[in-house]
Amino acid sequence: MKSRNLVLMAVFILIAGMTLGAQTSQKPIEIGFWSLFTGGDGAFFDAMVKEFNASQNEIVMKTDTVKFDNYYTKLTAALAAKNAPDVVVMHQDRLSNFVPNGVLLPLDDYIKKAGIDMSTFEQGPVSNCRFDGKLYAIPMDVHPLIMYYNTDLFAKAGIPKAPVSLAELIADAQAIQEKTGAIGIAADNTTATYKAYTLTRMFMSMLKEQGYSTLNANNTKANFNNDAGAKAYQALSDMVNKYKVTPKQLDYDSSVADFKLGKAGIHFNGVWVTGSFEQQAGLNFAAVKFPALFGTNASWSGSHTFAVPVQKTFDEKKVMAVMTFINWMTNHGYLWAKAGHVPTRKTAIDTPEFKSLPHRAGYADAVKYTFASPDTPKWPQCYDAISDSLEESVALNRDAKTALSNMEQVINAILAR
Amino acid sequence: MMKRTIGAAALVFLFALWLLPLFWLIITSLKAEQDVMTDHLALFSVAPSFVNYAKAFGGTDILKWFKNSVIVASFTTLFTLFLNSTMAYVLSRIKFRGRNSLLLFILAGMMVPFEVIIIQLYLEFNALGILNTLAAVILPRLALPIGVFILTQFFKGIPEALEEAAYMDGASRFLIFRAIILPLGKSALFVVAILSFVNAWNDFLWPLVSISDSAKYTITVGIANFQGTHGTEYALIMAGAVIASIPLIVMYFIFKKNIVKGIAMTGIKG
Amino acid sequence: MQHRNRYVARDIALFSASYLIVYFAFLVFPVIYGIYLSFFDWNILSTKKFIGFKNFVEAFGDPKFLASFAHTCQFVLLSTPTIIIIGFLLALIAVRPTKSGKVAETVFFLPYILSTTVVGTLWAWLFQKNFGLFNQILAQFGLKPIGWLTDPRYAMASIVGATIWWTAGFNMILFSAAIKQIPDEIYDSARMDGAGRFATLTKITIPLLKDTTLLVVILQLIASFKVFGQAYVMTGGGPYATTEVLVQYVYKTGFSYFRLGYASAMSILLFMVILIISGFQFILGKESK
Repeated sequence: MKSRNLVLMAVFILIAGMTLGAQTSQKPIEIGFWSLFTGGDGAFFDAMVKEFNASQNEIVMKTDTVKFDNYYTKLTAALAAKNAPDVVVMHQDRLSNFVPNGVLLPLDDYIKKAGIDMSTFEQGPVSNCRFDGKLYAIPMDVHPLIMYYNTDLFAKAGIPKAPVSLAELIADAQAIQEKTGAIGIAADNTTATYKAYTLTRMFMSMLKEQGYSTLNANNTKANFNNDAGAKAYQALSDMVNKYKVTPKQLDYDSSVADFKLGKAGIHFNGVWVTGSFEQQAGLNFAAVKFPALFGTNASWSGSHTFAVPVQKTFDEKKVMAVMTFINWMTNHGYLWAKAGHVPTRKTAIDTPEFKSLPHRAGYADAVKYTFASPDTPKWPQCYDAISDSLEESVALNRDAKTALSNMEQVINAILAR
Repeated sequence: MMKRTIGAAALVFLFALWLLPLFWLIITSLKAEQDVMTDHLALFSVAPSFVNYAKAFGGTDILKWFKNSVIVASFTTLFTLFLNSTMAYVLSRIKFRGRNSLLLFILAGMMVPFEVIIIQLYLEFNALGILNTLAAVILPRLALPIGVFILTQFFKGIPEALEEAAYMDGASRFLIFRAIILPLGKSALFVVAILSFVNAWNDFLWPLVSISDSAKYTITVGIANFQGTHGTEYALIMAGAVIASIPLIVMYFIFKKNIVKGIAMTGIKG
Repeated sequence: MQHRNRYVARDIALFSASYLIVYFAFLVFPVIYGIYLSFFDWNILSTKKFIGFKNFVEAFGDPKFLASFAHTCQFVLLSTPTIIIIGFLLALIAVRPTKSGKVAETVFFLPYILSTTVVGTLWAWLFQKNFGLFNQILAQFGLKPIGWLTDPRYAMASIVGATIWWTAGFNMILFSAAIKQIPDEIYDSARMDGAGRFATLTKITIPLLKDTTLLVVILQLIASFKVFGQAYVMTGGGPYATTEVLVQYVYKTGFSYFRLGYASAMSILLFMVILIISGFQFILGKESK
């Protein structure tokens, strides 16, 4: 009795094994993926992944989302244990924390094999993903700092066009306050739910407009305690303290809400709020690249890239599937553009879908003027330190000399370590 | 008489004040997102809208997360009760040298902020090969020092005579533990159960780091993703908070009497 | 009795084994591993570099370490006495044999079961400068909005306020349990001696609660030194890092700045501070007996 059951079981297992074996060769390959997009961004991104999955039968992307705040904690732990998924989203300015440790795969060979034409990408963002000549990530978008303005308030205040210089910016802001009662410039300068990075982004942009990068060439010293830095800082401080066109203690959520509710004329922020502003009934606005306050154009920008973690056992099939995924996502960048971001792939911009999106075309050319953050592993700490320092100095109305030398001291200490 | 009414009114006011944040939590969760950031005081929404709850239940894995939280919290509580009560028994009913030092050593565990051992735990669990499992979420929470403290204090108060009599009758220590000590300690066990359940349910950082499959997330981790990358949707977040907190609040009201009785009978005699 | 003494060692081992295994494996080991790491320079992703006490030396000269530690101490000083005293006052209400006593118990303890994130997010929303409830109420009275979380004068106090709402109920329960244990006879004889309410409170109730108070103080100190979650959610450490507490700095150092050795060293310093201060309190408390 017992032996008969055993034989039956063995036969069953054998058949099951054979059928399963036969089926696995037709089963789609499953790719694990971590995304840091939540909220509005998340909705658009997840929709794209869904469409990718639906568009073909060979690859199934399995997305796990982690809130941005904790994303890198989790990713780092996973990378340390070689437990990370097959492909991850990574900010370009974080790459220098991961690449030198050998936890990301260099992609050049696989790009070639997959036939992805890198010349269809905007070269600036791509070269920012190169380390020692090798490409470690493929940029999907750039999200620069831009300027939004309320067209209704501008009309009411009699301002014919967007400001293109610092003097015009201040004059316009004052006109808005006097003639409409709305806030002149809504740009956050205080940390609450979100850190007040806008100040830093504006500072870095204004510095670059004058030809200076935030840190020196080999990232060993601060590069802003000079005339250019003084002018940039003064502009920021004056907006709040001298001309009073920006309220004090303005945090990110309030700044966005003020513009959204039509209570502010001008708003400085990244492109990512475009989608949210569009959905606001009654808000008529325009979006343009960050103005050339000091003569030339330059805007801080972040960039979301796709990177491939090194696994315990290398599986080329999976890597190639990832390439297919990245190729598709970047080609369909116009879908991502709905979230406000600017696709890095020129072929995605050159589509009727992208061109028909309002506003984005207006700042698509901002891509040409973006610059990468310094590629040192100490950048996250410097970024935070600059942010705290600018926030403090503007709040306490410090003079440029003190503000900059304080900031320089902190940054140099971090870099010297 | 006057004094009594003023006093009563003051109390009611105090209660209302204390409950106001929870009231506001619920109100906000019932508003449409665009009605949240408005500049007029809308204490009551014109028409309560369940859109955020619909979004939470329809667009996310919230039911799966809920299930995971129930599993994790229940098993954590069960095992914690066992571990803590056996340990407390040793510390309270058996005299041996170093007993007080052992208790203090265990209590010292309360002083460690969890955030500072996350990476060590992660690497440890990775080496054990049990990452991305609910077991990984449960294990670090089992040794609840405050639970050991509460139970030890309580058990100390049980008269020796009861155990003596049982031994005279030939009972084994385990039988005494199970049949005498535990039943007498019911109230204190209740307190530890509640603390353990609440801790496990509200745990955030460790489940976040140790679980990679978002289908296995606990509810606190899942609703954290309601916070947008570039903007705060307060109504949605409040709805998530309400969903995540309701089970605890319900449990609280059910077991309220036992909790208070339990802490009272812990007899913090020092 | 024979039976019992013969197997004492075995019983101790059997009964404590399961707890101690878990305790050592998942609490003691990570802490010891952390102590080990504090002597290294490690960015989590590549090899460790032994540097001896350099991390500790760096901490004492690091203005951010000192500042964030100062902020933690500020929180401890503001929160510990207030949460304890308020817990006690709430207990006085909760012990009343009337219906309001029972309601008080329920209402004041309820917030304690909410998670850190829920409390932090809720109070961040209540305190929100332009649209939060508190400022909207102020606006109804024609007052200007207060930057509860964005003004450095108020941010830390606001965090303490939220924490009071969240955790005072726990202290209330401990105190009310202890108060209920004071035999009625003591109060009766005090009343017969003509003692008024206030005198009874200060000369009888409070002294009799010494043990409970000691416990509450120690637990509150430990909890306050470990503060992080709700502060981080409410202010992100702002405005300009004035509410950045030590655990936040440790967390950022480890996970944003990739310096786990340094982060571990700072955690050890914090742990030692907590240990020493709780130890002090404990000894002081025991002495005054």
